[in-house]
Amino acid sequence: MSAGPYSYSYIFKYIIIGDMGVGKSCLLHQFTEKKFMADCPHTIGVEFGTRIIEVSGQKIKLQIWDTAGQERFRAVTRSYYRGAAGALMVYDITRRSTYNHLSSWLSDTRTLTNPSTVIFLIGNKSDLDGQRDVTYEEAKQFADENGLMFVEASAKTGEMVEEAFLETAKKIYQSIQDGRLDLNAAESGVQHKPSQTGRTTLTNDQPNKDSCSC
Amino acid sequence: MEEILDEPVSSDDLKKFEAKYYKELGNGLVSKESTFNYAWCLVRSKYASDIRKGILFLEDLFRDGNEKERRDYMYYLAIGHAKIREHPKALHYIRQFLTLEPGNQQVQNLEVIVKKRMERDGMKGMAIAGGLVVAVGSIVGLGLVALAKKK
Repeated sequence: MSAGPYSYSYIFKYIIIGDMGVGKSCLLHQFTEKKFMADCPHTIGVEFGTRIIEVSGQKIKLQIWDTAGQERFRAVTRSYYRGAAGALMVYDITRRSTYNHLSSWLSDTRTLTNPSTVIFLIGNKSDLDGQRDVTYEEAKQFADENGLMFVEASAKTGEMVEEAFLETAKKIYQSIQDGRLDLNAAESGVQHKPSQTGRTTLTNDQPNKDSCSC
Repeated sequence: MEEILDEPVSSDDLKKFEAKYYKELGNGLVSKESTFNYAWCLVRSKYASDIRKGILFLEDLFRDGNEKERRDYMYYLAIGHAKIREHPKALHYIRQFLTLEPGNQQVQNLEVIVKKRMERDGMKGMAIAGGLVVAVGSIVGLGLVALAKKK
């Protein structure tokens, strides 16, 4: 039932975190809908998005929990960190304060997730280069020092958005292949769906599609 | 998308926010924040009784809340009602929200999910009603056969 008409072999859980107004929901929207949400109201609590991607020939369903950045939600949004395979940590390159708070977001993430969780740092609003308040180099250095992956992206133009979500998935997939991520651990943030892999599901889906189109 | 209604709170989290709420209650002063956090966890519970309790808290908060806070309460009231399949009530809060913020994507998404579930429930209802018609029909049919035999 939960697979719907699509087949996939893995489910990866992601969280998106960061200060209020850095564009977390817009990044999610750009990734799932390929559209820019111009007037983006504050998220209430958490929002959810999903998309099926492909890594090394494997279909992977991303279940993405987009957390509200407002302080008053923070106590409960922390309960969504548990079991995340990927964490996208977002700041706004035009607002220094959102960058300065990264260490607090990072320590929260480290405390509440597991050591194999992939943390990806995103400097959003790269289209507003003229208003830049944080240089690429210093953010890159911060990322390197803390072992994070890093890009500057724009939810508005879509630049590097896809890459951030996909690179995170590739890294998680790699951890599974290397055996660093234990699929049986309750909080790995990854579910394997062996029954739905490969040809069986594809052939099962085919007749349905045919009958729909006629 | 329906995960937003199907994702259960962990019992540890529920207990944590419950303890905070009752501790404040014991001290005689409960903050809005603790009440909301507890209510938010309650509506994410697997158990209908928890969800109903969460709804009661949210209704109280809504009554006393300012406009900015009410937006949060309306959203979670809609979630709570949707989870216990009180879809018309869920839609009531969704519509109320959307009259204030017509373009809100998050609430529009929830509306789509709730309508889909309503439709699904409706179809189940029709299937049951359809089954009844068949059952009644066959009883009547059997009766007619019996009558015919008597003659």
